[in-house]
Amino acid sequence: MGKQYGFYADTSRCIKCWACEVACKQWNDIKAGTVSRRKVHEIDSGTFPDTHRTFVSMSCMHCEKPACEKVCPAGAISKREQDGIVTVDKDKCIGCHYCFFACPFGVPEYTEAGMDKCDACLGNGVKIDEGEKPHCVATCPTKALHFGPMDELREMQAQKTAKNVVSDSTKPSFIAS
Amino acid sequence: MGEERALSRRAFIASTAALGAAAAVAGTAAQTLTAYAEDDKKMGATSSDATEIKHAWCQMCGPAKTACSTLCHIKDGRWVHVEGNPEAGNNYGRGSKTLCAKGNAAMQVLYDPARLTHPMKRVGEKGEGKFERTTWDEAYKAISDKLKEQKEKYGPESYGVLSPQAYQVLWTLGRRFLNVHGSPNYMHSAICALQRAASKKICLGNADCDPGQLDKTKLYVIWGANPENSAINQGKPNARLDAIERGTKVIDIRPMLDGLGAHADIWVPIRPGTDGALALAVLNHIITNDLYDHDFTTNWCNGFDKLAEHVKPYTSDWAANITGLPKEQIEEVAHLMGTTKPMGILYGNGIGDQQNDGNWTCIAICLIEAITGNLDIAGGGGAKKTVPKPMFETKKFDILTDRLPKSAEDEEKGYFAGISKLVAPETPRWYQNPKTWESGPNSAYFKALMSILTENPYPLRAVLGQASNPFGATRQPKKIAEALKKLDFYFVHDTHWNTSCDYADYVLPAATHYECSQQFGTKNTPAGTFIAINQKIAEPLGESRSDWDFYMGLAQAMGYGDDFWNGDMDACLSEQLDGSGFTLEDLRAANQGIFVARTDGAKAEEPTYQNYEKLFADLPNGKVQCYNEWIGGKPNNTETGALGYLPEYVGPPESLAGTPELAEEYPLVISDVHAYRLCNHSYYVGVPYLRELQPYPWVKINPATAKKYGIEDGDWMKVESPHGWVKLRAEYKEGISPEVLMTRRGWWQECEELGLPAYGCFDGGSDSTVLYDSTIENFDPFHSAMSKQTLVKISKLEEGE
Repeated sequence: MGKQYGFYADTSRCIKCWACEVACKQWNDIKAGTVSRRKVHEIDSGTFPDTHRTFVSMSCMHCEKPACEKVCPAGAISKREQDGIVTVDKDKCIGCHYCFFACPFGVPEYTEAGMDKCDACLGNGVKIDEGEKPHCVATCPTKALHFGPMDELREMQAQKTAKNVVSDSTKPSFIAS
Repeated sequence: MGEERALSRRAFIASTAALGAAAAVAGTAAQTLTAYAEDDKKMGATSSDATEIKHAWCQMCGPAKTACSTLCHIKDGRWVHVEGNPEAGNNYGRGSKTLCAKGNAAMQVLYDPARLTHPMKRVGEKGEGKFERTTWDEAYKAISDKLKEQKEKYGPESYGVLSPQAYQVLWTLGRRFLNVHGSPNYMHSAICALQRAASKKICLGNADCDPGQLDKTKLYVIWGANPENSAINQGKPNARLDAIERGTKVIDIRPMLDGLGAHADIWVPIRPGTDGALALAVLNHIITNDLYDHDFTTNWCNGFDKLAEHVKPYTSDWAANITGLPKEQIEEVAHLMGTTKPMGILYGNGIGDQQNDGNWTCIAICLIEAITGNLDIAGGGGAKKTVPKPMFETKKFDILTDRLPKSAEDEEKGYFAGISKLVAPETPRWYQNPKTWESGPNSAYFKALMSILTENPYPLRAVLGQASNPFGATRQPKKIAEALKKLDFYFVHDTHWNTSCDYADYVLPAATHYECSQQFGTKNTPAGTFIAINQKIAEPLGESRSDWDFYMGLAQAMGYGDDFWNGDMDACLSEQLDGSGFTLEDLRAANQGIFVARTDGAKAEEPTYQNYEKLFADLPNGKVQCYNEWIGGKPNNTETGALGYLPEYVGPPESLAGTPELAEEYPLVISDVHAYRLCNHSYYVGVPYLRELQPYPWVKINPATAKKYGIEDGDWMKVESPHGWVKLRAEYKEGISPEVLMTRRGWWQECEELGLPAYGCFDGGSDSTVLYDSTIENFDPFHSAMSKQTLVKISKLEEGE
């Protein structure tokens, strides 16, 4: 197995501009009003005027041990040897929704073609093995979203005291600071 | 829930649980500099080999803009994807492939099914919406016949043109057309950076408040500025976040806690429209507590003692009552501004050109920057590093200003040519001259339209609207509709049937700037100089014509062809490129634009600091105008009185502290976000990728307030001011004061793809412009800014209402 790739969302730089969401849609030919592979979530805390807003851009977490893959009865979900990206073969998907119930993060969505989720832009031609970045990362105007081998992302985030903000037995490849 | 759209139940629960952890982490994040190397060249990818790439300047911040260079991917003749051009030096510099949400949705504007496809002529009553198809030839004939007849009968000044936001077509061909025709009536919005620039000029001359070297700034004060909405991909948001990581402290003074404000050290949730009071109290605190720079005020300030005396009554107690801020916070902010150096202030539209005392508010803020000794020091106001000269230069577009006729009155009063004929001068006539204006004389948009009703000093007879919807661009659509009804001749050139088109005589279909190759732009940086032109991505839809070709045709029909390259836009462009070393063909052949790397070895250099003699050279006595002798005692812009010498707080026409009796019936303050990251002013609400993020006209409301009225998150509300009412959907937000509401204007476009409707722009619709005061006497007497704040009462709107 090669290096595990994943995403790093730096909440100290995210301003909820939604560029990542729209870039994801246009590059993956997703029709408006259907699925959203990437979403900028917001959590508010406190009350006026002592209130805080935190924004975090999230998608499939390309878990080291993907629960979706494990439960898929059609063998439609696989984890790539070379980079650990979890992909779905829509031709094989039977639309049973098992993966949705198995995923601790509720990531899988469904269209007529089958289960739909982030594939790190492999499907639209991004060559991550050559160092290219998924379009959500490339378009981010404030350098708040990163992609790469997890060890490199961890090193990057160590300077920001970032953590695995989601922990699960599936070992998600996603960190935030 | 604060979500903008429905999440599936499970996805929502899961993501919220994850977010709880994220928030905990963010709260403890150390703000240290991460200096990781990033190979920007590898950001993003180009698709399969079958894809053709064409260059275009993004038009999502406005047609004809050249802020962000983009690469458009065409597959089988259809534009399918877009990305930032790494060659151009967008956002944080060369290598940046970033774009904002709007930029990422640009294709959907070109292919919008609501686009206009052929010329239309009105056959019913004005406002009735009855039109029939016509031809360009017939339309040009009718328009030119009318303009010629009116020019003969009423003089050329009877023609005026609506100015949308900063718009290169109008600056160039449009202004040239005005000048050749002989009219000074460029109807500028009075809601613009131009307002702020004028206020700054008459106070600080050529000095600036916004830091030119943010990496050296210790305290950065954001005051009514909104770059996370108005210019996400143009450098400032990214630079501010970098500065925060380096330890710059940020104070954000805005009514709503917005995306960048959420990263500030101190949020100052000021009541909309009361910034002038806060600025005066800050001056008071700094002067009373002797926190000002004595050397600077002694040597470089005009009438500092008069200012010191003047601000004595403006205590923090006085301002607390007006601004709704705790006295302690006002003093804390004032103290920090008076004691932290270098300090820079970025002030924006919110305070400068959307308040009827915007001029004095800007001036008071400029004076804070000045008397604390922060002007033109490293990390303080201005003091940018010098950018080396471009590697090549293009020619400035000649707008033929010398064609404007100089009247006897201009001669007699010492005005510049054309000024006495302005129908509604935006800044005072005496102030408008080639040294102080942007591209020529200006009338104010709203006031000029009102001349049609008042006939004072004379009525405009023909108005052109190009890419501007006057029902969304100014105040009080009811009055605008009345004016358009009475107007002799209104003609429109637009990509969409904007709501004012129902009142037009002719509506002509505009091509987007993606359907022509007529706009080039350059970017010069220390690394080199970039030039690129829009490449034609698609043939113009139906019979639509580009903004440029529209003017060429109009000029031809008017018989002005000799001054308009006989209708040949390529000849016009070639003339501008002459001497640059590039031909039009070179530009059109360059799929990613052309970058000329710097070979002269020149670098960005630190400037000579505190260059006050030069910066203040245009100011009376060569000094900062604490006591303003440039404007003081001179006629205001309506020629109904004289301007003052010292900053005054006026406040909105309706406000909690200013009109307490009215506040008993209308207890809440409302304002709106002027520029927003999912639209271009009132345009692009029909773009599917953008509309799905915010399907409904919203109003942000503090949950405590909403609950008092029985309004749940997501309920429709009736919001009523003394001037009109709108329906808006409640969105709970803690980051807004319980006494304030904030909304977003401009919902006149439907989104067919998502089945979402258009909302009206009159009472009962959803455009906040109906709520505000539009009494001309209340507008800013120097630069015509209009209040964008009022008082409202609210109630839950039941279904069917």
